Amino acid sequence: MLLEINGLTKLFGGLSAVKEFDMYVNKGEIVGLIGPNGAGKTTIFNLITGIDKPTKGKVIFNGQDITGKRPHVCAQLGIGRTFQLNPLFPNFTVSENVEASFFLHPQSSLLDIYFNTFTYRRNEALIKEQSLSILQLVGLLHLENELAKNLPHGYQKMLGIARALATKPSLSLLDEPLGGMNPDEIEFTIAAIKETQEQGVTILLVEHNMRIMSICQRVVVINFGQKIAEGLPQKLRENKEVIQAYFGDENLA
Amino acid sequence: MCADEKQTASKSNAKIIRLAIYGILVFILALLPLLIKSPYVIHVFITTFIYIVATVSLRTVTISGQYPLAHAAFMGIGAYASAIMAKLMGWPIWLTIPLGGVAAMAIGAFIAYPFARLRAFYYAMVSLFFGLGINQLIIVSTKWTGGAGGFTNIPHLLPTTDKVPYYYFTLVFMVLCLGALWRFEYSRIGISLKAIAQSHLVASSVGINEASFRILALSVGCFFVGIAGAVYAHYNFTLSPTCFDITAGLWLFVYALIGGLSSFNGPIVGTALLIIAPQLLSNLKQFVPFISAAILLLVFYVMPQGLVSLPQLLSYWIKERRKKDTLSHAA
Repeated sequence: MLLEINGLTKLFGGLSAVKEFDMYVNKGEIVGLIGPNGAGKTTIFNLITGIDKPTKGKVIFNGQDITGKRPHVCAQLGIGRTFQLNPLFPNFTVSENVEASFFLHPQSSLLDIYFNTFTYRRNEALIKEQSLSILQLVGLLHLENELAKNLPHGYQKMLGIARALATKPSLSLLDEPLGGMNPDEIEFTIAAIKETQEQGVTILLVEHNMRIMSICQRVVVINFGQKIAEGLPQKLRENKEVIQAYFGDENLA
Repeated sequence: MCADEKQTASKSNAKIIRLAIYGILVFILALLPLLIKSPYVIHVFITTFIYIVATVSLRTVTISGQYPLAHAAFMGIGAYASAIMAKLMGWPIWLTIPLGGVAAMAIGAFIAYPFARLRAFYYAMVSLFFGLGINQLIIVSTKWTGGAGGFTNIPHLLPTTDKVPYYYFTLVFMVLCLGALWRFEYSRIGISLKAIAQSHLVASSVGINEASFRILALSVGCFFVGIAGAVYAHYNFTLSPTCFDITAGLWLFVYALIGGLSSFNGPIVGTALLIIAPQLLSNLKQFVPFISAAILLLVFYVMPQGLVSLPQLLSYWIKERRKKDTLSHAA
């Protein structure tokens, strides 16, 4: 098991954003985390990556307890993530965004960096090469010198995924990777996600778009911060509670 | 691939042109004392050189998105530390100047940890009051610093009172410091700091440790402003706490702001303009703050990127003008 979450609870004031939440992700899987707006999906991501500290519960990654570890430590351990809003460095160009994200592998020492030694220059050349291949994967190679803030929304999301890949994660958390994309971009991104999985990255994603179901091996549905269902995507479509969460009570309708 | 090669070629060309311009500027500055005989003008230039180092060292912090208002206090720490070591302990000046920088850096690193948790407005306010505190400390420790009356008879930097050797010393000093700060900003360290400024959440998600980078940045900035202060002390021979009070800290920031925070050249242009221009209007000295405020307003309305963006803006205006002309001709 790559990621294991036990009894995760987060209170904001008196309100529980996440309540006694359990889930797991196996190595090599693509797992979807779905639920209506405000169900607590992004909060769960923030709790895993250390942006928020859980009130209660445990997050175990690769056999190691990472509950409440700082965000950069989580990144060093191998959790990459994208953000739903503002997923990038707006004033950097596309290629600078990816190159700046290559912070961990290879990492040069401060003295190497400052004195521009051979090691540093070799590492930077390597980074340049690898960032080009990542940009190729997400299909942004032709825009490498464009400022990131000038990109259309869909491209910004793809660049966010490229940035997350630059940290060479073993687990990648994608927060609404398809948000604001047109149908062509959606197909392309789904293919890119599939390809990253084939390269050995485990993926946990939050999404509203039901198209994503086609590539998920397992789906976890939450509402009001609690898990209401879990299983294969096809089976969940018939699950009463899930239908209720998304479409309301049928007796009322 | 061909386009790629062209691009890298044009990038390295731009770098060479830039270096050449810097070289020519330094060359002109090196020839200046042969033309100008007035010691007062030379003095203005020496002060400008020292203050350019101080304002450019602000950039280590401003590129990480924070607005430091306490930098004059760190300049004071460097100045007083070096002066005390040289005068009261009798240490050689070539040692006390770097040690002054180290003293400023040590105090900077010490307060950097709590500072690294603050952002934007809160950072500015806390740094402002830190500067106020340091200044008070200088005033009350009369035994060491001479208090409000000032610190006098500081050992001379060079064994002469002629200004020209000082001019060359500070020119070389400035070039070396700017080179070191340039390297800092354009290495991966500077890139990571700029990434933090744009989004600290995204930066931390790729493994950049915001706190340690901001501690590093403040320490490096404090070191350079500290040695600038030390050189200032051994050039002026006297120090007064008012040189390093809140107003001085705000001025340093305003120099950088008018020149432009987004570019390395900004603080250089801003400092040079705001130190040299008031000297030309010496009979209007009491109006300098008003004139500066007017310049500040003008700069912010017309060129929000600072004075350094003037050439870019001019070429843009000229292009627009031409476009209009051709359009009206076509009509």
